[in-house]
Amino acid sequence: MAPPPPQPLASKERSLFTQVVKNYENKQYKKGLKAADQILRKSPDHGDTIAMKALIINSQGNSEEAFALAKVALKNSMKSHVCWHVYGLLYRSAKNFEEAIKAYKFALKLEPESQQIQKDLALLQIQMRDYQGYLQSRRAILQQRTGWRQNWTALAVAQHLAGDLANAERTLTTYEETLKSPPPKTDTEHAEAILYKNSIIAEMGEKERALEHLDAAAKNNPDRTSVMELRAQYLLNLGRKEEAAKAYHLLLKRNAEYRAYFEGLEEALGLDKSNVEELRKLYGDVAKDNPRGDAATRIPLEFLEGDEFREAADQYLQRMLHKGVWSTFNNVKALYSDSQKRDTIQDLVEGYAAGMLNTQANGSAERQINGDSDLFTPSVRYFLAQHYNYRLSRDLPKAMKYIDEALSSAPESVEYHMTKARIWKHYGNLQKAAELMEEGRTLDVRDRYINTKAAKYQLRNNENEAAIQNMGKFTRNEALGGPLGDLHDMQCVWYITEDGESYIRQGNLGLALKRFTSISTIFEIWQEDQFDFHSFSLRKGQIRAYVDMMRWEDHLREHPFFTRAAVSAARIYVMLHDQPDLAHAKMTNGVNGEKMDSAERKKAQKKAKKDQEKQAKEEAERKDSKKPGAVDQNGDPKKEDKDPKGEKLLQTSEPLVEAMKFVTPLLEFSPKNIKAQQVGFEVFLRRKKYLLALRTLLASNALSSSDPTTHEQAIRLGHTFRTQTEPPDRKVQEVIAAEFDPVLPA
Amino acid sequence: DREDPAPLPTSAEDRKAAAAMSSLERRGGDDDDAATKPNKEIDQEALGKAISRLELADKAGTVAAGEKKTKEKEEVEKRAKIKVDQADVTLLVEELDLTKGKATELLKANDGDAVKAMRGFVRAAA
Amino acid sequence: MDIRVLTSADIPHVQSTNITNLPENYFLKYYLYHALSWPQLSYVAVDVSRPKKTPYDPPKIVGYVLAKMEEEPVNGIQHGHITSLSVMRTHRRLGLAEKLMRQSRMRYLSHTRRVYHSERQTDLKEGFHEADARSFPLERAMVETFGAQYVSLHVRLANIAALRLYRDTLGFEVEKVESKYYADGEDAYSMKMNLTNLREALEDTYVDEG
Repeated sequence: MAPPPPQPLASKERSLFTQVVKNYENKQYKKGLKAADQILRKSPDHGDTIAMKALIINSQGNSEEAFALAKVALKNSMKSHVCWHVYGLLYRSAKNFEEAIKAYKFALKLEPESQQIQKDLALLQIQMRDYQGYLQSRRAILQQRTGWRQNWTALAVAQHLAGDLANAERTLTTYEETLKSPPPKTDTEHAEAILYKNSIIAEMGEKERALEHLDAAAKNNPDRTSVMELRAQYLLNLGRKEEAAKAYHLLLKRNAEYRAYFEGLEEALGLDKSNVEELRKLYGDVAKDNPRGDAATRIPLEFLEGDEFREAADQYLQRMLHKGVWSTFNNVKALYSDSQKRDTIQDLVEGYAAGMLNTQANGSAERQINGDSDLFTPSVRYFLAQHYNYRLSRDLPKAMKYIDEALSSAPESVEYHMTKARIWKHYGNLQKAAELMEEGRTLDVRDRYINTKAAKYQLRNNENEAAIQNMGKFTRNEALGGPLGDLHDMQCVWYITEDGESYIRQGNLGLALKRFTSISTIFEIWQEDQFDFHSFSLRKGQIRAYVDMMRWEDHLREHPFFTRAAVSAARIYVMLHDQPDLAHAKMTNGVNGEKMDSAERKKAQKKAKKDQEKQAKEEAERKDSKKPGAVDQNGDPKKEDKDPKGEKLLQTSEPLVEAMKFVTPLLEFSPKNIKAQQVGFEVFLRRKKYLLALRTLLASNALSSSDPTTHEQAIRLGHTFRTQTEPPDRKVQEVIAAEFDPVLPA
Repeated sequence: DREDPAPLPTSAEDRKAAAAMSSLERRGGDDDDAATKPNKEIDQEALGKAISRLELADKAGTVAAGEKKTKEKEEVEKRAKIKVDQADVTLLVEELDLTKGKATELLKANDGDAVKAMRGFVRAAA
Repeated sequence: MDIRVLTSADIPHVQSTNITNLPENYFLKYYLYHALSWPQLSYVAVDVSRPKKTPYDPPKIVGYVLAKMEEEPVNGIQHGHITSLSVMRTHRRLGLAEKLMRQSRMRYLSHTRRVYHSERQTDLKEGFHEADARSFPLERAMVETFGAQYVSLHVRLANIAALRLYRDTLGFEVEKVESKYYADGEDAYSMKMNLTNLREALEDTYVDEG
């Protein structure tokens, strides 16, 4: 029952329709709606207008109504490419990319010449990493519009990402050959295209040709640093060591604080860590050229040993401590993995504290030049306090003694307060630690760093309210949801994660889940963020940076920010599976609260109910004061959070299904993270997916066979196998016997 | 006359960021601004040739891809001959959280041997 | 501490560093906008001495400078702009901020500035002899890659430390005060540094870079 074809619009309405499209593109939503309604008064069934109206309503944040309207539009005009295009755009905005691609393809069938639909389709294909589809789309776009360089570059990018490097290079060359004359030096798009092509040649492994191309085509490229870096790299790869050494020397003149250049130079000179004399000279020369530099004096501490180390460390430490550099300890502590170096440093700095400067090499000379014994003594105490607080050299009473000495001469020092707080933390006294940080904060209320630390220590001590109040001193007041809303808007991952972990400790699993889910949402936004760059970067012409971004986005969720939150979230769902009661009553004894007797439990439930009422009231108040016009990063209106306390999250009937939403990306992106494997084990075991549990166990075991949790999980899996009421499939048993038994602890 | 979207940020610092963000996203066609005009310094004749070469290369690409495909085809045909027990497919779907397609693929890659397929799978992450 | 160009993978930690140190914060996408529009201009200071705990450990960022070219310069003159610069408090006094902006002292500083800021005179004299115009990564890239004639930035009126860094150490000049520049209503110094001398100094260096 096909509806009758809609009447074509009269000329006045036609121009109104053009107006609607313009209004939408310029985000003039109210005007657009007004114009659309004006058309619809004359032609109420006009599908394209209804579709545009749907698109505008969607942009205003009402996705449900938009979809309903779009369906009406499609019913009226099945054959309209506009309606299908809009349908695709709505799906795209709802992040249902597969359906969006289908709709675009349909629209394109109806209107094969449409640039806009073709481009929208291409963008989604690359966002979805449908390389073959993207390649096809880019080819079609280029064939329609050959005179635009970016269409050629785009095809090359498509070929490159699809793994067809030879054709990517060919495409770029083909375009270059159509140019009547070489573009001017100021043409950055051209300059970048040359370096992009060079990177493709190198990626094919043809270093010789890459070097030739670089020398021929990039001589005056404005990105000189890149050219010099590539040249040095190619020369090194080709074994042209002398030239490579020269190239790295030039790079070090440009930037002497970059290890990669030093490493390149060492390799070019054929030096390894045993050529101590040559290395000393090399670093010494660079240090002479860079009297204020750090790398050339700091790196040698890694390859020098024994007395030579002692002498160099002495010079280095005295210079830094005389200048009062706070970060001296942070800058040398990595050497402590070598216990001899650790002991030498301790010995040296203890010596300074005991006034034994003159006995040491260059000590007195240094002292005369800087004349800063005012800075030196406190720097030494501060260094020792940090030293004795550090994991590899810990002696907390000594650390406390030195920090108290430092504080007695400078009671207003923020740094000393921070270190004292850290010492308390290592003593296990989180309350004292938080107090000290807070005291430090009040000494410099305009510094956000110390404010951040104070809030972090408060969270560690489960003072969530105090923490958010502190954070609020630097967040935006107008943000929806107060300081916490601002921290979410600004993707402040550390705070949200720490807040969530604190709620786990307090047994407030709803809020904890809420926070970890927010982290997952932030990663979704970060993934979505690349979308606009698929077209923007082509317009800008910065292709290498774009390709680099794409490759980073491909494994975005391996970031420890994600792993930490996802592991915690999955653990909570496991708890919810084991103790469904947790969804209804707040635990009062932390996560191990199962030992409460019934009276206690009742009391806890009562308290939880009261808390809930109080929170609801606060929430209502907050809503009243909510400012209108809150928008997200794309300027679109923000949706109201309907579950601010995470209660709905908590009351899921399928906690293990929810857990898998975190476990799947964990195992896909961070398989070498033992915690990811271990939490995966817990979920699979409960889902009775024994082979998958075994898979995570084998992975954990390969990462660390001595890990106690892995050991305990192995025993538990063995027990499960032995005590199953229903024996597993014979083939499964065979797999277990072959793969599990060898790792089963005795 | 941007009436209804976000009220403009009040501070200069914010306006800068907001303007940058909106420059990223362009909704209309992008043919109407100077930066994306076609290059006038192009030799039209050369361009015409380039495009026909591109089309040829495409065909060559398809041929090459075709060759690759025949190899793949052989592989596919070889695999098609491998008999897969539907009960094994069901077992793998159940035990390993795989789709039916993936389970069948995995079985075929292991000559239809379910135990071998499962052993390989549980060991793969280690 | 490495000083190197910022890449996409650095951004989550650059964003963390920013929100730990400064009240002006941005979405990750705004950092991407910088990194993908002018990939040569933004730098990070990275602690590379620590061994990785997992293969996924991202670089440990302790400072950054986020810079851009002005997209549509009102006066038509190409120039750069520092969007944001900060260094973790634990890593201050290492001169990282300065190193991020440039590797060594300013050879092209006018002689007069030495007289005005006598308290830094020793430093400047030292720099006068040793410095080499090649080694100012950020400003150099602005000039080399994008033809910048000057670089500008904003500083909160109350941020004395930053003012001293830019004015006394790096050679910026206060151009004017912009009223209520920041979201919280605070005014900003609008500062500027001429880069035309750097361009000349750089051209000298190209001779021996070949």
